[in-house]
Amino acid sequence: MSILEYNGAAMIAMAGKDCVGIAADRRLGIQAQTVSTDFTKVFKMNDNIHVGLGGLATDVQTLHNVLKFRMGLYELREEREMTPQVFSHLLSTLLYEKRFGPYFVEPIVAGLDDKNKPFLSSMDLIGAPVQTKDFVVSGTCTGNLYGMCETLYKPDLEADALFETLAQALLASVDRDALSGWGGVVHIITKDGVTTRELKGRQD
Amino acid sequence: MAPFRTQHQTNRNAAGGPSLPMMPPIIHSSEGPVMAKADTIDHGVTEAPYERGFSPYDFNGGTTLAIAGPDYAVVAADTRLSSGYEILSRNVSKLHALTDGCVLGSAGCKTDVDQLRSVLDIKQKIYHHNHRKQMSTPSVAQMLGNTLYYKRFFPYYAFNVLGGVDAEGKGAVYSYDAIGSFERTGYSATGSGQAYIIPLLDNVIGHKNRADENRDLPAEEVVEIVKDAFVTAGERDIYTGDAVEIMVITKDGIQTTTFDLKRD
Repeated sequence: MSILEYNGAAMIAMAGKDCVGIAADRRLGIQAQTVSTDFTKVFKMNDNIHVGLGGLATDVQTLHNVLKFRMGLYELREEREMTPQVFSHLLSTLLYEKRFGPYFVEPIVAGLDDKNKPFLSSMDLIGAPVQTKDFVVSGTCTGNLYGMCETLYKPDLEADALFETLAQALLASVDRDALSGWGGVVHIITKDGVTTRELKGRQD
Repeated sequence: MAPFRTQHQTNRNAAGGPSLPMMPPIIHSSEGPVMAKADTIDHGVTEAPYERGFSPYDFNGGTTLAIAGPDYAVVAADTRLSSGYEILSRNVSKLHALTDGCVLGSAGCKTDVDQLRSVLDIKQKIYHHNHRKQMSTPSVAQMLGNTLYYKRFFPYYAFNVLGGVDAEGKGAVYSYDAIGSFERTGYSATGSGQAYIIPLLDNVIGHKNRADENRDLPAEEVVEIVKDAFVTAGERDIYTGDAVEIMVITKDGIQTTTFDLKRD
């Protein structure tokens, strides 16, 4: 039993044509027992940045609060909005500060940079970052998620096609993982705004 | 009197015979660190404990997959043989035709896979001699399950998938665990890359979580899906790659094709 698998999670972020999508499941469990079916793991930080936090639920919520606080400070001092690259770097630094007693969270960051181009990054629990152009995944079923994304992904998908791809990739992956599922939520971010849709999948 | 050994001195054990010339462990006694006596091998019992081990199993990697259609079955496997981080061969088959109507795909420990196939071949030959006909696919499925359970307490480290056509000519796929539990399914994947492939098969072959109309897929389309699946597994799994061997089984026989993958 690994601490990162205590509560269960599955999340994907994918890049499209001038848009990004980020999706996560809704389950919160205590090992085998499901405790909540509407637990939020993807958080909107500002109009351009969404962060998905997968792992130990208490650290998911604490880290979200820490990030909100730090973003607020940045905006007060800099008098401008944070870009996804800066946010990702901040998150990486925050995690490494706890190198010998880490937050048990493996986050993914999805956003549009100041030129409205897609930005994706993911990191491990001590902040080692990876930036990709296509997709990033995190959670208890990363094997399943990588397989689905690798097969279904095409570059430069429009917002509607990106939604379909994210939805199918997430649903097929969580259905083969006992610790994630109970529905899903997908956010599609474009320069004009964010569209959020709920997914109904197998409720088990 | 120096405790250090010179090259031309041979070690003698307690019985007076020779033993391997190894440096004895350092004992941390009350007088400080001191070398243990040359003629006693402690075995990690009274002095500092150490562990030796031998595992009878090795993992030689690879992924196999099988899909059943209305009148055909497709069985495929990559052709890479590996051990640890090394590639031992890029061209070893994981598929074995047991009869004209069914093919066994096995990943896991190669020596166990080879032995299992030998045993199954022999049993199949005996059946053929006694009954004057080849075993039907459901019979082979049962025989494989029984053969695996026979070694319940020292298992064959083999992850099997059996594909073929049943007595009525319909496609049949059977999935197994290492100790013989099996079930007839519509599709199956096993081995190091199974996590990458199974959700895809759920979606495309099993038609799960889809709103569009479900239709029977012809063998050619399924072969293309299999190639896509192995390209994906080859990307993300280090043990899968080099090439895929694909066998299509119908009532008329078995056709084999090979498709190259990335060799990294």
